[in-house]
Amino acid sequence: MAARFRLLERSPQARAYKWIGWGLFILGVVLFAFAYADTAQITLLDNDYAMSLTRVNKSISFMIAILGLQVIVGFTGQLALGQSFFFGTGAYISAYLVANHNWSWFLSILVVVPACFLIGVIFGLPALRISGLYLALVTLGLAAVFPSVVQLEQLQKYTDGAAGKSVSSSLVPPSWLPLDGIASFLQSIPLVGQYFGDGDLSSKEEERLWAFFLFAVLLAICMWLIANLIKSRPGRSMRAIRDNETSAAVSGIYLAKDKTLSFGIASALGGVGGIVYVAEIGIASPGDFTQLLAINFIVGLVVGGVGTLSGAIVGGFVIAFIPDWASSTVNVPGVPERWLQGPTGTLFLGILLILLTFVLPGGIVAGVRKVKARIIQIVPQPPPGATIPPAATDGSVVASVAADADESPDTSDGVSDVTGEASGEDLRSSATSDGRSTS
Amino acid sequence: MELFVARLFDGLSNGATYALIAMALVIIYKATTLINFAQGEMAMFGAFIVLVLATERGLPIWIALIVGMLISALIGAVIERTLIRPFDPADHLPLVIITLGLFLGFNAVAGIIWRFDPRAFPRMFPDGNVLSFGVATLSWYTVCVVITVIVVAGGVNLFLNTTKIGLAFRAVSSNLESSQLVGIRIGPTLQFGWALAAAVGTLGACVFVATPLRQLEPSVMVRVLIFAASAAALGGLDSLWGAVVGGLIIGMVQSILVQYTTFIPNEMSLATAVIVLMLVLLFRPSGLFGTKRVERV
Amino acid sequence: MSALLEVSQLTGGYGPIQVLHGFDFVVNEGEVVVILGANGAGKTTTLRAISGMIDTDGSVLFAGEQLIGKKPADIVRLGVAHVPQGRGTLPELSVEDNLLVGAYIRKDKEVHADIERWFDVYPVLRDRRTQRAGSLSGGEQQMLAVARALMSRPRLLLLDEPSLGLAPMIVQDLFSRFHRINEETGTTMLVVEQNAQLALSIATRGYVLESGHISIEGAADDLLHDDAIRKAYLGV
Repeated sequence: MAARFRLLERSPQARAYKWIGWGLFILGVVLFAFAYADTAQITLLDNDYAMSLTRVNKSISFMIAILGLQVIVGFTGQLALGQSFFFGTGAYISAYLVANHNWSWFLSILVVVPACFLIGVIFGLPALRISGLYLALVTLGLAAVFPSVVQLEQLQKYTDGAAGKSVSSSLVPPSWLPLDGIASFLQSIPLVGQYFGDGDLSSKEEERLWAFFLFAVLLAICMWLIANLIKSRPGRSMRAIRDNETSAAVSGIYLAKDKTLSFGIASALGGVGGIVYVAEIGIASPGDFTQLLAINFIVGLVVGGVGTLSGAIVGGFVIAFIPDWASSTVNVPGVPERWLQGPTGTLFLGILLILLTFVLPGGIVAGVRKVKARIIQIVPQPPPGATIPPAATDGSVVASVAADADESPDTSDGVSDVTGEASGEDLRSSATSDGRSTS
Repeated sequence: MELFVARLFDGLSNGATYALIAMALVIIYKATTLINFAQGEMAMFGAFIVLVLATERGLPIWIALIVGMLISALIGAVIERTLIRPFDPADHLPLVIITLGLFLGFNAVAGIIWRFDPRAFPRMFPDGNVLSFGVATLSWYTVCVVITVIVVAGGVNLFLNTTKIGLAFRAVSSNLESSQLVGIRIGPTLQFGWALAAAVGTLGACVFVATPLRQLEPSVMVRVLIFAASAAALGGLDSLWGAVVGGLIIGMVQSILVQYTTFIPNEMSLATAVIVLMLVLLFRPSGLFGTKRVERV
Repeated sequence: MSALLEVSQLTGGYGPIQVLHGFDFVVNEGEVVVILGANGAGKTTTLRAISGMIDTDGSVLFAGEQLIGKKPADIVRLGVAHVPQGRGTLPELSVEDNLLVGAYIRKDKEVHADIERWFDVYPVLRDRRTQRAGSLSGGEQQMLAVARALMSRPRLLLLDEPSLGLAPMIVQDLFSRFHRINEETGTTMLVVEQNAQLALSIATRGYVLESGHISIEGAADDLLHDDAIRKAYLGV
C-alpha cells in the first residue's frame, strides 16, 4: 500500500520533514522533563501510577545498556545474556571512584569504558569458539555470578559487600542555566501551564532536571556513535556475521576481530549504563545486578525491537516502568486483589515477550514503522535519466535503499530497516548435522 | 581424607539434581537443538504442584510426585503445541525469546500464587545414614537420589530404544528431514519430548528440596539451571548418560573445590560451574559423550 | 499404462527465489522416469515439491489425489517415498533402526520379515545391522537409504541424485539394482540425476530440465541418441 505522502529523498520537503521531526522530538523531550521534574501521578481505575524524572533517569541507564545489546545481539547476531554483569561493573567502578576518590561522574566514564571493553573482549575471545546457545548459557552464568563476585572478601573494601556501595555525589546544574526561568515561563503558558508544576524548582528538582539533560545527551551521543558504527566497515562485517556466519567466514571477513569488537563495545555500553544508574540511584548493591536484570534487558531489547536503535529507547522505558506500574496496579475490575500482588510486573513482561514474538517480532518499533510507512515515505532519488520507481508495496524496502545513501540524518530509522529483522540464522548452533538444515 | 569423602558424598546428592535437570535439558536439546532456559522454572513450578498435592490434598508423597509429574508433562506438551510448534525449528531466536518469556512467566506465577516464604518439602527418602566414618556420612538420601537418577536415565533410555515413539524421537534427533520423509509427524514427537523433559525436570526439583537442608521457594532453581547446563554441556548436550555423569561430576567438583580452595568461597561455586562450562565448550564442544557434529558450508 | 503421477504447471521455489517456472510431466505406473539437468535447474526442487517439503503452486496428482498443500507425513502415507539428496541417513541410529524407521507408517506384522529380506538382498547391511549407520561407506549408505525408503512399500519412489559422491563402479551396481527393483516389484520410480548415461540406460522415459522449464522429453532410448543431449550431458 503506498504511503499517503511520498517525499523524494534529499528534496527540500524531505529535509524539512526530517529537521522538523527532530526538532519536535527534542522540544517534546525538554517539555516532558519540566513537566515531570517533580513526581506526577496518574490515577486510572483507583490505581495510582507514578511518573517521575528519577524513574526516567533510571530508564535512560537501561536504554544505554540495551543499546549495547543491540550491538551484540541485534547487529552481530550473538545471543549475549550477560549485560547485567557489565552494567553492575560500571556501576561499582564509578561508585567507588566517585565516593572514595572524589572523581566526577564523567571522568569515571574514562575508566569504565576501557575496563568493560577489556572484560568484554576477554569473554568475547572464547565466544569465537562457542556460538549460539552455548554463548547464551555462558553469559547467563556470568550474570548469575556477578552478585557473588561483588561480595567476595577480597573486594569488600571496594564494594562494601552485601550492603552495597553508596555514593552521594550529585550533579549540580551550572548557575548560568536558567532552569527556574524556563520553569516559570512554562508555567505561565495559558492552558498547559499547570502541567509544569507551580512555583520555583527546588534544588533537588533542579539537580534531577540537570541530570536528566546530561543523561539524555549522553544517550544521544552513544546512539550517534553506534549509528556510525553500523555504517562503518566493522559494522557491516558484524551484520554479515549475523546474517550468515559461515558465509562471512568464507568470504574473508575476519570473524574473530569483529565479533570480539562487538562484544567489547556492547560491554562498554553496559558499563556506561551502570554509571548512569548509580549516579541516579545513589547506591550499587549486589542484588540489583542479577540474571533477572540480564533477562529484563533482553526483554527490553525484544520489546523495543531487535536490531533497531530507537528500540533501545522503547525497551529501556518499558523495563523501567512496567514492573513499577504493575505493582501499582492493585485494582482491576473483576480481578480479585490476591492475584495482583507479587511479581505481576515480571509476569506481564513474560507474557509480553511471548505475545510479541507471535504478533510483532520486530518489536514495538517495527509496529510503529509499519504505521508510519502508510503515512509518509522517503523515496530514493532515481539515477540520472531514470524515472521515479513505482510506489513500493512495502515501505521498508524503500527506506532501506535510503539507508545506504550517504546523507541520512534520520539514521536510526534508515539504518535499522536494513537490519530490521533479527535474523536468527547464526543463533542456530554451529553444530548442524546432515539432515538438520532444510535447505 | 575423611573430609574429602564427606565432600564427595555431599557433592553426589547435589549432583543428582543437576543430573536430572540436565537430562531434561538434553531431551529437549536432542530433538530441537534448543536449550530450554525455562527448564528450571518449570521444574520448580512442578515441585510446587507436588507440594500442594501432598500437603493440601493429603496424597502420599510418591503418589503426589507421580501425579505432579504427569501434570508437568501435560504442561510441557501444551507449551510445545502452542508456543513452540508455530515457529520454524531452524530459527532459534524466537524460540529462545519464548523460553525466556516462559522463565519469567513461571517464576512470576509461582511467586504470585505461593509467595516467597520458603516451605518444607515432604521427605521422599528415608532419613539417617547408610554408613559413616568420622565426618564422612553417606546418607540414605544421597544413595537414594543417585539410584533414582540411574533408574530414570536407564528407564528413559530403555523407553527411547524400545518404543515406536522413542524411535521417532531418536530419528528426529538424528535427522529431521529424513524423519519427515518416512512419515514421522514432527510436532507430536517434539511434544512428547517436551512432556518427558518437563516430568523429569519436576522430579529433579522435588529431589532437590526433599531434604531438611533445603526448602522450596520460587527462586530455588534459578542457580541450579546454570549448574545443570554446565553438566549437560560437560556430558555432551545430546547424551542422556552424559548428563548423568556430568551432573554427578559437577556436583562433586563444586563440593570439593569449595572445601579445598580457600580462595573460592561458597558463593563462587556457581562461578566454578560457569568456568567448567566455558572450558568444555572451548576445548571439547561435544562434551564427554556427545556426538561430533559438522557444519556444512 | 495409467498415469500414477501427473504434474502440471509446477511453480515455486524458496521464498523470493523461484526455481520452478511452470512445467508439466507425467509418470506412468511401473515406469522409471528420469529427470536430467544441470545444477540449479530445479531437479531437487521438483522432487521436494512432490514430497511436500516445499510449498509450490500448480497441481501434483498422485493416483488422483492432489498432493499440493499436503504435509510430507501425509504424502508418505499415500504411497510416495523420497530418498533425499545426500542419502539422508540417520547417522546415530543403527542400520537396523534406519530400516525400522523406514517402515514407520506401517502397522502390519511383516516389517521384520521385510528387514530380513533387505538383508538378504544387501548382505553387507546384515553384517553391520547394529552399527551406527553413520559409519557406513557412501555406497552402503545409499543402499541403506533406498532400502529405508522401500520399507514403507511405496507405489512411487523418488530418488534424488543417487550417484552423487559415489565411485563409478558402485554407481553401476546401484543402478542395476534399481533396475531390478523396478522389474521385480513394479515400483514406479522417478529419478533425478546428473549422470545422464547411466540413468537413461535403466529408464523408460526422460525429461530434461533447464532453469525451471522442461526443454526436452522423450523415450529414454531416443534421448540417449539425441544430439543435443549427447553434447550437453554425455560430453560427445
